[in-house]
Amino acid sequence: MTFLIQQTLLYAVPLMIVALAGVFAERSGIINLALEGIMIFGAFVGVLFIRILQSSEAIIALREAKNWLALQGIEMLTMLVAAALGAVFSLLLSFASINLKADQTIGGTALNLLSPALVLFFIRILANQNTLTMAEGDSASWFMIKKTTLGFAKTADLGFWGNTFLHKVYLANYICIIVFVILSVILYKTRFGLRLRSCGENPQASDSLGINVTRMRYAGTTISGALAGMGGFVYALTTANCASTGDVAGFGFLALAVMIFGNWKPLNIAGASILFGLFKCIAAGYSSIDINGDGIYMLKEISTTMPFFSSHFYRMLPYLITLIVLAFTSKNSRAPKAEGIPYDKGSR
Amino acid sequence: MKKFLALFLALAMVFALCACGGKTETPAAPAAPAEPAAPAAPAAPAEPAAPAEPAAPAEPAAPEIPDSMTSADGKYQIAFITDVGQLHDGSFNEGTWNGVKNYASANDMSYKYYQPANGDQATDDDRYNAMKAAADAGAEVIVCAGFMQGTALAKAAAELADINFVFVDGWPLGLANVAPIAFAEEQSGYLAGYAVVKEGFTKLGFTGGGGGTNPACCRYGYGYAQGISAAAQELGVETELKYSWQYGAAFGASPELQTQLSGWYETGTEVIFTCGGSMFYSGAAAAAANDGWIVGEDVDRSLVSDTVVTSALKGLSAAAEWAIDKHYAGEWADIGDVATILDAKNGAVGIPTATWSMENYTVAEYEAQLAAMVDGSLVVDNTVYENDGICNLDLPNVTVIYE
Repeated sequence: MTFLIQQTLLYAVPLMIVALAGVFAERSGIINLALEGIMIFGAFVGVLFIRILQSSEAIIALREAKNWLALQGIEMLTMLVAAALGAVFSLLLSFASINLKADQTIGGTALNLLSPALVLFFIRILANQNTLTMAEGDSASWFMIKKTTLGFAKTADLGFWGNTFLHKVYLANYICIIVFVILSVILYKTRFGLRLRSCGENPQASDSLGINVTRMRYAGTTISGALAGMGGFVYALTTANCASTGDVAGFGFLALAVMIFGNWKPLNIAGASILFGLFKCIAAGYSSIDINGDGIYMLKEISTTMPFFSSHFYRMLPYLITLIVLAFTSKNSRAPKAEGIPYDKGSR
Repeated sequence: MKKFLALFLALAMVFALCACGGKTETPAAPAAPAEPAAPAAPAAPAEPAAPAEPAAPAEPAAPEIPDSMTSADGKYQIAFITDVGQLHDGSFNEGTWNGVKNYASANDMSYKYYQPANGDQATDDDRYNAMKAAADAGAEVIVCAGFMQGTALAKAAAELADINFVFVDGWPLGLANVAPIAFAEEQSGYLAGYAVVKEGFTKLGFTGGGGGTNPACCRYGYGYAQGISAAAQELGVETELKYSWQYGAAFGASPELQTQLSGWYETGTEVIFTCGGSMFYSGAAAAAANDGWIVGEDVDRSLVSDTVVTSALKGLSAAAEWAIDKHYAGEWADIGDVATILDAKNGAVGIPTATWSMENYTVAEYEAQLAAMVDGSLVVDNTVYENDGICNLDLPNVTVIYE
């Protein structure tokens, strides 16, 4: 169970935060299809930043002195850097779709095409290969929080909650969850959030009440870019051994699907990403999942006795579930009314 | 309307993903794998007495030699064509490439590497084009890494009869200008499996690349299982071996592989042999998170990660140097179209003793094992068992769990 929860979180958190990135853009009226591209860029920036830090003796010394607090600080700092550059990258989309009033879907697709190419180009220049990894060590040995990190003995039993949420976890995941909650509150409970949402529903009305639609839309897409960039780095850190390959395994597109499935609402999105993460986890680790702790691996048993439920079946599950759920829920989907329509003052 | 468009696009992406997911399941190279079994046939370890100097399997990498050099006359005499995966995979490509670089820089020759287009999805045409490009750039000898180059090599070598090709992990193509070199991976895997069980581990794992049809990986896996079985019988312990080819078709690292291996560690597995290029990184990440251990493949990986307990080596670098030297020494006829299998006798397989970190299993014991392999008193079966083939075998004291 602990294993299942931990692995599910690893998949769900990047999805969740990037889907929220999509919400911020679309609620302000801009379709951000570039989530995947921005994630790729954010992952690259984060890994590169860590590599640069690792070239300094002082940082290596911190690792050797087992100064975990400082290492977690580096992790936070890298998340910030990835978020900042993700935001900058998303300005391309904002500029094209807000100032130039270009088609947003095409602008987003352009970024999705640009980003992997650009990132691979840089990686080849920097490392003369297709993958940019940490200069030294593994992401788990540098940044993962374990019992021993927190000062417990290696054999200590922290109980179910302790074992699940304090052992073998990344601080980045918790930060993302906190950011998710804060931003959801901002979106729904503050003046800024209300104004942002109004620009995605009826920008002409907002403008007539003195809200600067252009500025709101810039704010929405920039927050979106920052979240997606950060999500990209968190993805790389927690599930890709801190490596950038010009690819985030389609998580950006999955996040889009999660956003639509979650009906552009944060709480639903959190649920959707956990559902999806759960099935991703089952797909890859079905043979090691012991749900009630009795030492019997039910899913493995099923797959050995019933050939239909083979490993291939489990690997299809996440996609199958998405399709089925979308087919049933998309009727109720309520997208922001003005999304995708460039704001034109004259058409009020 | 727009929302339907967004929905449609998202769905299209999900479908595209499904398609991608499906693709990795199919083995990367269709027809080729059947072939290499032939040269590895029983009697094969005849006497390719050729390798004069017993090349130490663990020759240090050559990172100080730059990967790119500019030749004065615009010609590059020694060319290297990579297998799938990146040049610096810390494994197969890198090991072979180091041999090329070592030879070239020692003899003051020009060298260049070529990566076939389209990365992991490179087709025979892409590989052929890379060979052609190497020939156009004035290559005198071309080193091609990986059995997947077979088809392209047969075409290129027939056309470019005045250039000599070294076919690493290959088999004879009936062309005198192609020198196929294979390794007795089963011996290397055997030594690694024997070592970890002697060290005291009983719950083991193996995850291999190539989707279960790559002959080299299959030999590694079967050898590993035999070594485990032998050591377990000697110690009188029961062992468990998880055996999987999932998530390694493209020899790459992936979150799914990491989750799968984390699950293995979570359920008690202690050591996992990650046998396939960059798959090592997923294994190392899972091992670092779970305080587990990894057995590396092809080259000594202990410098890359602290989780490496030992590595199953192939003398790639030495083999490349040796074959290139045959070309320049005018002895190509000795190896052209001859199935060379480098094994313990040639010092081409083993586990690294310089970075030995095991405590219960000693270097002396290892050397005794290796000596038995060299004098022929210890024979490791080198049959290629694809996919779940080894599950049907009788391996005493080993329970194979296939995933």
